[in-house]
Amino acid sequence: MTASLVREAGSPSPAVMHTPRSLDIEITARCNLRCSYCYFFNNPAVDYRELPTDEWLEFFDELGSLGVMNVTLAGGEPFLRKDLPVLLEGLVRNRMRFSLLSNGTLIDEEIAAFIAGTRRCDYVQVSVDGSCAKTHDSCRGQGSFERAIRGIHTLQRHRVNVAVRVTIHRHNVNDLENIARLLLEELDLPGFSTNAAGYLGTCRLNAADVLLNTQERELAMATLLRLTQQYKDRISANAGPLAEGRMWRRMDEALAQGAPAFPNGGSLGACGCPGRKISVRADGAIVPCSMLAHSELGQINRDSLAEIWQHSPVLNQLRSRNTIPLTAFEFCADCSYVPYCTGSCPGLAYAITGQVDHPSPDACLRRFVKDGGTIP
Amino acid sequence: MNQIGRPIANPIVVLRVEFDDWAVLFNPDTAAAVGINPVGVAVWRGMDGKSGIEEIVAEINRNFEEVSTDALEEISEFVGVLAEQGFVGFDLTDKHR
Repeated sequence: MTASLVREAGSPSPAVMHTPRSLDIEITARCNLRCSYCYFFNNPAVDYRELPTDEWLEFFDELGSLGVMNVTLAGGEPFLRKDLPVLLEGLVRNRMRFSLLSNGTLIDEEIAAFIAGTRRCDYVQVSVDGSCAKTHDSCRGQGSFERAIRGIHTLQRHRVNVAVRVTIHRHNVNDLENIARLLLEELDLPGFSTNAAGYLGTCRLNAADVLLNTQERELAMATLLRLTQQYKDRISANAGPLAEGRMWRRMDEALAQGAPAFPNGGSLGACGCPGRKISVRADGAIVPCSMLAHSELGQINRDSLAEIWQHSPVLNQLRSRNTIPLTAFEFCADCSYVPYCTGSCPGLAYAITGQVDHPSPDACLRRFVKDGGTIP
Repeated sequence: MNQIGRPIANPIVVLRVEFDDWAVLFNPDTAAAVGINPVGVAVWRGMDGKSGIEEIVAEINRNFEEVSTDALEEISEFVGVLAEQGFVGFDLTDKHR
């Protein structure tokens, strides 16, 4: 019976969990940098103010009572908060683990030692967008590269797991090999993840200067697919050119072979986030995801998170996107890839089309090919 | 399970009831997690340091239908597995002392 008392990890679940497993919290609305592709700032739907310490601690108590397992603190730049140690203690006290998303520039010995001492940190993610200051600083500001690398070294000295995220844009797409060498050989990181600048926030104002065009996207896909072989899968992606390159290869091969539809193919998909996690803005507004920051579901310490999680019509609609066939959209009319497509991220779909329940044009393979792109 | 004593659920471990009384035990100190069924949840809740395995099994028999005749052995093994992973400790003191 022991086996029957234990469920295999990852086995399918029939319904929505009683409470979210994880939360993404924008713990601050401030940042010391002004990156030209930042998704966070310049969202007209967002009130850029932040809550005092005691309000977050009260909310962390609620999370503890709900059995939330992991919290990711982002921003803005979370290391700008002077009360960060107190906030982390609040998470630890409530039996949670945590991660931090950072630009790395403010990480010093003291805070690194504190984080290590909690023994609850899954990782600190530092953004590195270039192999040298010239590339990295092109979008993130002068001096940010040197300080980010120093922050990584500081974390490594204190044996805090460092997760690096490389956001690919027009200014670093030709630097990917050097970035991989820096991160995986010189800094000896176990791996890093990639995505691409997306049409959100500040990036919308700088789209022409930042976003990859079709040829640059093709170059990024080809380079990253080659590097993943060279570095034996130490480069990962849930979005951006590497994820697209892998997915689009599969879709193209399936179409060529007349393969049956993919599981979940042919209808709108979701990233899975509304099934396991939820987000909170710096002003305490509960939202489905940081990429759907306009969609306020309630306010922390005023509304019950469990109630929102279980009964929010917005969340439930996101969870049932897979009942909407892609053939219902004119955008997908006569597309041969439909049986293998899920329409991708609802956040990006909203940013581009103004509709959550719509395929994301940015993730459209047919459009990529029509624009002259070739799958590597 | 070779331990003799009353099992105690590690107080740092989080019990997350997720679907239809299925649950996850999560140890935030180690990041270890294990999924358990409703009987496992009842066993977990019974591990208060006051009850021995036999008493926990008796409680299971009272509250669940069609409990296996091997329940004592199986639950003992289950508790032993949890103990190996740091989810459970044992009170080895004589409770009558």
